[in-house]
Amino acid sequence: MHSDTRWPSLSPPGLTPSEVGFLCEMEHVTVIPRQTLDGLELLGGPTGALKPPFPTPLPLWLALLLKKQRRANITPPPWLSVEALTQILDFETDERTAELFSPSPDLPPSTTSAPLEGDPYLAHDSLELSAPFLKDTATARAQADALPYHWLEIGHLLITHAPDDFEDLDAVRKLLRDLREVRMSKLRKGFEVLDAGGGVKMNGVGGMEIAEVRGFVGGVVDGLRWVTD
Amino acid sequence: MASYYCPTAILTDAQKAPTTFSLAVPALSHSPLNNNSGTPITPATTLDLPLWLAEMLAVSRPSGPASAPLATLDMPSALGPKVMNALTADATSVELRQQAQWFYGLGERMLELFEDEEMGAVLLNTFKKRALEIADKAQNTRTAQQGGDSGDFMSGLDETERQLFRAAHDGTHTVKRWFEATSRG
Repeated sequence: MHSDTRWPSLSPPGLTPSEVGFLCEMEHVTVIPRQTLDGLELLGGPTGALKPPFPTPLPLWLALLLKKQRRANITPPPWLSVEALTQILDFETDERTAELFSPSPDLPPSTTSAPLEGDPYLAHDSLELSAPFLKDTATARAQADALPYHWLEIGHLLITHAPDDFEDLDAVRKLLRDLREVRMSKLRKGFEVLDAGGGVKMNGVGGMEIAEVRGFVGGVVDGLRWVTD
Repeated sequence: MASYYCPTAILTDAQKAPTTFSLAVPALSHSPLNNNSGTPITPATTLDLPLWLAEMLAVSRPSGPASAPLATLDMPSALGPKVMNALTADATSVELRQQAQWFYGLGERMLELFEDEEMGAVLLNTFKKRALEIADKAQNTRTAQQGGDSGDFMSGLDETERQLFRAAHDGTHTVKRWFEATSRG
């Protein structure tokens, strides 16, 4: 599925949509086990042991696997409910937020201890955690009023592979689709202010959304750069 | 912009610009540069030479720094006032491909040689306006595949714009494929 076999243009820098989709499976979700299972020593760290009926956080890929084997159920994160998505959709479609995306979840306080003064490499800001390493963006403890970075991918995977864990599957599916449309059209509106040296304010945009427009936006900014010299 | 082997750069530089010789070059009268015509190349003969050659001639001063160069380079018609005016009036209706297959590349090379701020500004605006149109078209390929008046705009895109269209289309397409692939199994 990689595009590096196209010649003469080599694959451009940045993640492709399938890579973003792959990475989102590192996010943790809350799982309700149906069988006892020992904890696993994964490369990324140990997972807790599964003792029904206690909910346990697990990486999404493992959660999906267990779900397929009918060994666990997945709890949809709070933002993936009809109420939460409706509220976020209302925010997005409000005329007053035509230029913004709904805010992303609050970031945790930085975990570094002692930044060196004046050294950008070790400053607090440059060591901020980012998706998919932020805690609890898709577990049962996730913030309910914000779409995390991988909202689209995780939302899609959960409604596809754990449909029975949802109360109102059709409504959730429709809301996800509506949200995607609204946000995509906002993103495209932002194309109008692309400039060779400029940046576009995209706080709150999601991984898959960026992946979709990365090729085009990169091409436009490059072209503008060449003509401007 | 590109490496030595980059095909885009090679093809861009192969585009032609009018070059006026300032001295006679009889030895080249029968060369392909002169269309093998045999007409002698005298001072003030103007030929269409590829950019890489024209630039070399225009920049070289064989008799020392104070002397005149071997040839003078003029703006190719693709970047001439008629096209510039048409672009200022309605950027998306000009068939750039007819003017030059690597239109923006040509513009970039000429801007390197001539300081023409106005032309630079026109090219910038043109690029932006056409890029927006390309984004639009890439989104709606379902409804307007090859037909109607959208075909004119699409066939008038130069190479850079074609790649842009492909990038936009590929983005949406790959996302769609990911959704489909993960819906199975």
